[in-house]
Amino acid sequence: MSVDIGERAQKVLDLATRFKADQAEAYAVSNRVFTVRLVNNAVFEAKGVLDRGVGIRVIKKDGLGFSSTSDMSDKALESATKAAIESAKRRKLPFKYSFAKPTKPSVAERIYDKRVAELAEDEAVHLAYSLVETALDYSKKVKDNAGVLNLVEYHITVLNSLGVDATDEGTMIEPSLTSTAESAGVAVEGADSHGYRMLDDLNTEAIGRKAAEMAVGGLRGEAIKEGEYTLILGPGPVAGVMRYADYLVSPMFARMYFPILLNKIGEKIGSEILSIYDAPTYPGGYRSARIDDEGVATEKTPIIENGVLKNFVYDTQYGSMERKKSTGNGIRYAFVTGTSIFPGKNYNLEPIPRLTNGLFAAGDSKRDEIIEDTKDGLLATRSHYTRITNPTRGDFTTVFRMGINRVKNGEIVGAVKKSRLYDNILSILRNVDMVGDDITSAGSWGDYALVPTIRISKARVVPVLK
Amino acid sequence: MEDLAAYVIDYARKRGATYMDVRAEEHYNELVIAMSGKIDKAMANRKRGVGIRVLANGAWGFRSTTNLTKDAVREAVDVAVKAAKASGEHIVKPVKLAPTKAHIDKYEVPVKLDIEGVSIGDKIEEVLEWEREIKVSDRIKRTRLSYHGIKINKLFMNSEGARIRFRNSLVWVIPRADAQLRGLAQFYDQCHGGSAGYELIREKDMAEFARETGQKAVSLVRAEAAKDVKNAKVVLDRDYMAILSHEITGHPSEADRVLGREAAWAGTTWWAGKIGEKVGSELLTVYDDPTIPRTLGYYLYDDEGVKAERKILIEKGVLKGHMHSRETAAIFGVEPNAGMRTITYEYIPLIRMSNTYVAPSDWKFDEMIGETKKGFLICGWREPSIDDKRFNWTISAHEAYEIRNGEVTTHLRDLALMSTAPTFFKSIDAVSKEWEIRPLPGCGKGDPTQGLYVGNGGACIRGVADIIARR
Repeated sequence: MSVDIGERAQKVLDLATRFKADQAEAYAVSNRVFTVRLVNNAVFEAKGVLDRGVGIRVIKKDGLGFSSTSDMSDKALESATKAAIESAKRRKLPFKYSFAKPTKPSVAERIYDKRVAELAEDEAVHLAYSLVETALDYSKKVKDNAGVLNLVEYHITVLNSLGVDATDEGTMIEPSLTSTAESAGVAVEGADSHGYRMLDDLNTEAIGRKAAEMAVGGLRGEAIKEGEYTLILGPGPVAGVMRYADYLVSPMFARMYFPILLNKIGEKIGSEILSIYDAPTYPGGYRSARIDDEGVATEKTPIIENGVLKNFVYDTQYGSMERKKSTGNGIRYAFVTGTSIFPGKNYNLEPIPRLTNGLFAAGDSKRDEIIEDTKDGLLATRSHYTRITNPTRGDFTTVFRMGINRVKNGEIVGAVKKSRLYDNILSILRNVDMVGDDITSAGSWGDYALVPTIRISKARVVPVLK
Repeated sequence: MEDLAAYVIDYARKRGATYMDVRAEEHYNELVIAMSGKIDKAMANRKRGVGIRVLANGAWGFRSTTNLTKDAVREAVDVAVKAAKASGEHIVKPVKLAPTKAHIDKYEVPVKLDIEGVSIGDKIEEVLEWEREIKVSDRIKRTRLSYHGIKINKLFMNSEGARIRFRNSLVWVIPRADAQLRGLAQFYDQCHGGSAGYELIREKDMAEFARETGQKAVSLVRAEAAKDVKNAKVVLDRDYMAILSHEITGHPSEADRVLGREAAWAGTTWWAGKIGEKVGSELLTVYDDPTIPRTLGYYLYDDEGVKAERKILIEKGVLKGHMHSRETAAIFGVEPNAGMRTITYEYIPLIRMSNTYVAPSDWKFDEMIGETKKGFLICGWREPSIDDKRFNWTISAHEAYEIRNGEVTTHLRDLALMSTAPTFFKSIDAVSKEWEIRPLPGCGKGDPTQGLYVGNGGACIRGVADIIARR
């Protein structure tokens, strides 16, 4: 893709200087996204986005202004820069604030794959369809498949008037498949999904097989009784929990919605064997990057170590507000209705502090050992609709739609029908009593974390289908 | 833009597309968020581009671009056609579109005060002023108020001759208060908004709206903890009805879900294949109606150029129909009913709700409570968690009041309702005369996800569900 975003970013800085901004920052993006949606065992639609634009921030006296535009013409950039300055005049910050100072970008390996960038659209369509083919080949009981393959290529340039001049680029691959198996009038789903960066990591056969295997295995599901269970969570549901851990340690989301961990730095909030990090340079991590979206070098940040809350993550704004250094976690994350939220980079929004790649540190147990050590419990491998129902206390619920099994005397003894977990996120963190060594990039819908299988000593599960 | 759109259609036809449509759009979005007395975010975005959808080889291809040169749109068409042709090798049946008139029209949301007629600076000051009003007591520990404004100028054209221009304008404000008392934390939020200019914000006493939000949060920390109650008689207020109608009548009525096309994402629906069957009480009638002015779900033509109308989803307890695209309408053998929407030109349209609501009946809301001997009034909503077939549902409420002998009594906190859709629908024994479409600005669907604004609610209802405490 031809990329002239650096020159356009420089134009913004020149304009901001001409309009007498004290500081200016340009975040220029070029995104190419291609999505193949699979529905009812067929390709349903193949769709692409080609998107370029720039997010502009300026500081004028003690005010901060932001605007963005997808129109990269001189006239549009001038108008957007003026809009940012006008906003800065009225939006006063009650603390001393400056954009990022130059840092040396980190090394993040396996985040850009030319083969993904150059994959032709028709090849991508055929590759996506192989997910369906594999699942259908697995068993005649597999009747339906739906899924997606998202391919992303992005380039960013961050320039600011303090000398930040950084670029980054990446590719992303997001495959997922949900298979439905049917037998004797019963229909059960199975699924698998991942977030990768390199084409070599994509194994459509493994994904198709796993989704089909889960669906067929679930056909013999028994309903459970409501109660407290020892609960083994596979990487998928752990990624669901991590999604909320992400919100809890973002000072913005914590102040806005989820204040559960505010003022708890240094306190023991989880089990001794629980450690969570932000790992933005993890090779091949779904959001691994050399720089954050403010041009700050990314770095590994301990969030919870041996159960003790160590850090929140910061961008420059929240860092200045709390007199802390940016941890390189200024992410332009779409949390606003009406704005683009497709995968890739987003110039439409100001940075906010968020985890880049949540990493749930590996333990020393093999997955099989965790199962063998469990006398009576459940093994959940997929979760949906994870929601914090009381954000001030951390009560949450999630639905185990599929991939849930009963474990007795150290063995998986059979599938379980759809069930729902009701618990509290802090209780979950406290009750982690085994952690696997099987770290993988798990999640769905653009939210992925690096997570292992874990065991929760007790959690309340109720049947959805009796 | 019209010339460019016509050029795209002509070029796509030459490239072998059998149908094509183009949405050329300009978007202006603004957002101001104040938290605890300070502006946290103030953003203004402009986007413009075209979304090109083609049918070739019996399959869909799509490409959007922000580059509006002829070279760039030609490349976009080439990619869309190539993708469609490749997809056509892996389809079961070629896509057929139900016929619709090629409308030529122009309409706009009436606006008295243009969103851009008030500077972002003035809005920053107003938002700060309103946000300060939330703190009605020392018990309030955190406050937040967000304002959103969106303007969209859209041109739709297709290869069948349709040409529709639409100028939309939407605004909404959400205040939120977090209160605390002796370690007990509670929050309250609510939303005011619709399709209109900034006058919709100015018409309301926003300071009072903010204070009311604060007072609600404070009252919740003094409320009693709810207890589990099996088969409770519940009267649902207008805001709880908004989320209930959205989650368990709106989503399962989307024909793509009915056909299993959302199985990997949002899910499917328990009432697939049940058109004409009784799914609920005689008192339950549900509509989806985009033509209601000043609502977040307002439009007169959908993103396939189909003229909007009120859709009957459930009538007197009988499942009557679904929301359709032209493609799903052809599959079901019905008329298309304008269910296709997108948030921007960057996305291919999906079947979405507009304003899905429960139709009013003949009970006065006060009578519904007055004639309840023992029950609960359920107010506001926090989080829904629904199973993939929209069968089993759990939705937490902001608050509830115990009803004893027709009187609203003890104030309760921390509860959710749980039931299954058919059980709950059949239990409905009263529906109010009063009805209202409430704004719901954050409905997610699709992959990549599209966060869309809709209207929901309608009448208040009385039925039976389990109360689950402390979730």
